[in-house]
Amino acid sequence: MTRIALLLRKDLLVLRRSPLLLGILLAYPLAIAILVGLVASYGSSKARVALVDEDNLPPTVVLGGKRFDIERTIRQVSDNVKLVRLSPDDAARQLRTGRVVAVVTVPPGFVATLRGMVKSPQLELELSRGTISSRVEQQVQALVFSLNSQLQRAYIQSNLRYVTLILEGGDGSFLGRPIDVLGIERAEALLREQPQTARTRQLLEFLGDARLALANTDDALRSTAHPIELVRAPLRGRTWVLSAEVQAYALALTITFLALLLAAGSLAAERDENVVGRLARGLVGLGELVWAKVALAATVALGVGLAIAVAFGVIIEVGAITGGEPWRRLPLLAAGLVLAGGAVGALGALVGALAREARSASVVALLVVMPIVFLGLIPAEIVPVAGWVSNALPFVHSVRFFSSALFDLSPWREVVRQGLWLAALGAIFGVLARLGARRLLV
Amino acid sequence: MTDPLLAARGAGRRFGRRDALEPTELEVRPGDAVALVGPNGAGKSTLLALLAGALEPSTGRIERRKGLRVGWAPQRPAQYGRLSARENLELFARLEGEPDVAAAAAGLLRAFELPDEASPSANLSVGNRQRLNLAISLLGSPDVLLLDEPTAALDQEQRRRLWERVGALRQAGGAIVFATQNLEELERVADRVVALRDGRLVFDGTVGEYDRAQALSA
Repeated sequence: MTRIALLLRKDLLVLRRSPLLLGILLAYPLAIAILVGLVASYGSSKARVALVDEDNLPPTVVLGGKRFDIERTIRQVSDNVKLVRLSPDDAARQLRTGRVVAVVTVPPGFVATLRGMVKSPQLELELSRGTISSRVEQQVQALVFSLNSQLQRAYIQSNLRYVTLILEGGDGSFLGRPIDVLGIERAEALLREQPQTARTRQLLEFLGDARLALANTDDALRSTAHPIELVRAPLRGRTWVLSAEVQAYALALTITFLALLLAAGSLAAERDENVVGRLARGLVGLGELVWAKVALAATVALGVGLAIAVAFGVIIEVGAITGGEPWRRLPLLAAGLVLAGGAVGALGALVGALAREARSASVVALLVVMPIVFLGLIPAEIVPVAGWVSNALPFVHSVRFFSSALFDLSPWREVVRQGLWLAALGAIFGVLARLGARRLLV
Repeated sequence: MTDPLLAARGAGRRFGRRDALEPTELEVRPGDAVALVGPNGAGKSTLLALLAGALEPSTGRIERRKGLRVGWAPQRPAQYGRLSARENLELFARLEGEPDVAAAAAGLLRAFELPDEASPSANLSVGNRQRLNLAISLLGSPDVLLLDEPTAALDQEQRRRLWERVGALRQAGGAIVFATQNLEELERVADRVVALRDGRLVFDGTVGEYDRAQALSA
């Protein structure tokens, strides 16, 4: 048996004899995963948006003969954001202090402009600075899109009435004024009563073409209003709590905590036990000692990670959850668990070598693991710096590896990419830990 | 004169800005029993750790005869507290390359009257922990033993057995270097005394020469 294997066996034996420590090491990251989940769900809860109604919106508005329920539209918006009616001053103050993330103002004359159906009325949107405001902007844009979709029907209806008036003639109104229109059909009838000359025949021909063209206006207007129409299918797929992303994050979070703390604590414990000198005098090199801790982290990550994946899969199978559990991908996941455990273990060994005492190493590892995990949770598109820093740490690569290994249809490209990242980071941290391990001899 | 088994050639050790041991010359030859003496903090443990290879010298070097096997028992026991005495002995026996691990562990458990229980060695008495520390240093059939105040926590009978074992080692061409504060042991076991003070070697001679030097300085 190699010297690394001997030390690994010793460490696993010691770990088995510390059930309380093992329990805490398992329970703690799971508790953190739940807390992160709660924070994430709180983060996606409704943002508070002020509605300033300077036009005294009526409960309903009739446009082009169609009745619009304004109250119901506001209730629909409240599904996505918490809409609170405020005065202009109050809204401005609350936006400044961050009590609301946005203010939507309905300016005076909004409904009158809308009823006129000639000019587009405007809604005003003010946003606070910060990442959440972009989400609110998207939600307000979605609201405006939804309103426009409904209004377009009324506008098309109204325009079609004018087309019918031009075609058939009769009484109507424009900009509130009554009008009497001759209409193409009546014009054609009048022209046919006139002596038929080349000019009248030319006019009749034109009126015939115009009538045919206007008869097709209905479909043309509708397709112009909706070049692409989005039809929402019924809800399918897993609930958020059982999603692929959550499984990948739960695995990565647990393994990062476990591997970092174990490697840091166990390497520093060698010095606490006063055995580093005994080992280093030719029995076990400092490099071998570091790699033994990396192997310990990888082994525990493999065992615990597979146990979590199996438990997750059993819940999904028993609950007959949509999508099922990709059992055939477990070997690929196992490879990722070993790589992730090893890379985090190497970082843990570096922490242990620098801290030198098991207690200090554990505290430092706990302090280090939090930013590593939270940096990985920040979307890189929103805070690029967090993305760059996160790329230099194993957590985010573990998440990507697990997610791709379990759920991508063609995972190989991503798995190889993230696997190389993890191996490279593991090698770098391992070499740094070996250099730092000299401190254990002092 | 035979070649030394082990030698410090200008070997010194610095911890940060502090010189724990200034460059030191020392040779250990077959049959030697060298007692390291000096007040606390004189550099005895550092010199033993350097000779054992547990520490790298900041200056100079340590020379070992080719194939030499060295056993080292530091002052503070160096063993795994969560493993039993037997498990510790078996682990280090494997690392030392003992051909029959179980037999080596069983023999040392018997020789040092260590409890063969499953309970962790951290639960052993101070004396038993020190015995286990010494037992581990004897694994791998060392030619030279480096013992740091080995008898501090041993009873009379255990001391006698330890020195008997050391005597057999010397007769077989081995050597011992031990740090001690016990003058009686120095007189009885050592044939050479090396005195250190403030990290400097201040005396290297026979026990008789050391006694005379002490008498003069008194």
